[in-house]
Amino acid sequence: MGRRAKRRLAHAAVYALLIAAAVVMLFPIAWMLTVSVRPNIEVMKIPPDWIPQIFTLDAYRKVLSSPRYLKTFVNTYLVALVVTFLSLAIGALAGYALARFRFRGQRTVLMFLITTQMFPLVLLCIPYFQMVVRLGLYDTLTALVVVYTTFTVPFCTLMLRSYFAQIPKDMEEAAMVDGCTRLGAIRRTLLPLSYPAMIGAGIYTFLLAWNEFLFAVVLIEAWEKRVITMAIYSLLAEFVTEWSMMMAYSVLASAPLVLAFVFLQRYMVRGMTAGAVTQ
Amino acid sequence: MLLPLSFRRRHRQELRAYAYLWPALVLLGLLMVWPLVQVVRMSFFEVTLQQQRFVGLANYGELLATPLFWRALMQTVLFTAGSVLLHLVTGLGLALLLHTRINARFIAAMRGALIIPWLLAPTVAGMIWVLMLAPFGVVNGLLMSLHLLDPANTLNWLGSPDTALASVTAMNVWRAFPFFMVMLLAGLQAIPEVLYEAADIDGATAFDKFRYITLPGLRGVITTIVLLDSIWTFRAFDPVYVMTGGGPMNSSEVLATAIYFDAFQKSRFGYASAEAVVMFLILFTASAIYVRRTMRQIG
Repeated sequence: MGRRAKRRLAHAAVYALLIAAAVVMLFPIAWMLTVSVRPNIEVMKIPPDWIPQIFTLDAYRKVLSSPRYLKTFVNTYLVALVVTFLSLAIGALAGYALARFRFRGQRTVLMFLITTQMFPLVLLCIPYFQMVVRLGLYDTLTALVVVYTTFTVPFCTLMLRSYFAQIPKDMEEAAMVDGCTRLGAIRRTLLPLSYPAMIGAGIYTFLLAWNEFLFAVVLIEAWEKRVITMAIYSLLAEFVTEWSMMMAYSVLASAPLVLAFVFLQRYMVRGMTAGAVTQ
Repeated sequence: MLLPLSFRRRHRQELRAYAYLWPALVLLGLLMVWPLVQVVRMSFFEVTLQQQRFVGLANYGELLATPLFWRALMQTVLFTAGSVLLHLVTGLGLALLLHTRINARFIAAMRGALIIPWLLAPTVAGMIWVLMLAPFGVVNGLLMSLHLLDPANTLNWLGSPDTALASVTAMNVWRAFPFFMVMLLAGLQAIPEVLYEAADIDGATAFDKFRYITLPGLRGVITTIVLLDSIWTFRAFDPVYVMTGGGPMNSSEVLATAIYFDAFQKSRFGYASAEAVVMFLILFTASAIYVRRTMRQIG
């Protein structure tokens, strides 16, 4: 066999393996989609049908016509957006100080930020629950916003710090000579230059806030305040679970993230890799 | 500013820096450090909703004498080791496939598609798997159409003590492998191509190249992600809670769910705090290694 033929064979094998991997790894997602368009009766058939026998959008209609479920989307959007905004603002300020100034305690602050990312979060559940109850914040979205922001600020700070450090100081200094305050200079020169890092950190923060479950369960009870992850779990009933409705709801709950990913993949992958190697 | 001028002159850098840092530090101090102190304090108390009573090390003593604690700890270690190992194998395999020189568009599309499981909430991913693993689920369906399973005798993967923990691990492997894939792909792209060219001239086999160039080149990335993933998986709560609730008969209980149930179902806040402190101490070792590595990289 010639070298060319050998390489062609190797390439064919790579194609085949990648396609096989994609089929296996995307199968659960495909299954979620097909169950979401079946009547619930059909879901529990043994053995299951690979392709829906009856196609129906009933499950979606049920979710979208229920004020209770719609409210969970509003709540989750609200919480995730506010957390993203706050986390980026606080993280940008702190990241700026760490990137631009040399001061006593700098290494300690950095080490502290990295350490907090390693905390076993379940540890914080008990004191949070007590604090939130004492402050009268139980069953409020405010409690979720504060708690999630605490978890995402270290990551945003570290990621923005490393990005700011690569941008030369000259532009800010020039803007300050021209009469800008330091904050004005940051806003006009540094922030526009660091939009890739802002998008990367922002979207990762949004993802974490959108997908969080443990603290929502601990800090929220009332239906009007629930977020999507709780609602999905509450659809799991003891006797007859509405599987098609749960899957339709899951599709709707995952769609914003998948759509954002399709358009912002570049930044998101950067956020993913930077999350681990925040240099 | 009320501080004396001499102080302000001497600490100009510090004042300027902390003027930007204080929101982050106040938030983390109040909501990370203070609660941690609270948990440690509570672990020495018997805490009910009405009162607190100092009991010294009694919670820890009880903990060490409780078989369920040791069981949860063992199962957490199994869950973590299984997840991390399979994340590494799957992630490395796919990263190597994505690093080949075939059509760049096809590669980009495949990479994008394979990241999708990582976008899903653990709750959503868990529910999809609960459905797939149910007695009427598609996993049994697949086994039936391969004639490996009798339709009259379906398996209940999550409902049987022998398979519950492994099933949760499988879900967790599926949801989080893309992180390894993406990180390892970035690591592969950072290995200089010249090394492979030189090896080709020397007549090295594909295995030699993998053994002596690829693996050493990825060592740094692998250490980082294995540490991170171990920490993240060891503390994971959602997968077990939504898929099995620790059952059946505690066969899939992990530390995170045990702490949650002790605190919020049994209202034993002191005992649960002691569990949490033990978990923190175990994780602290892995975290310390990671923090030291990262600090060295930052320089």
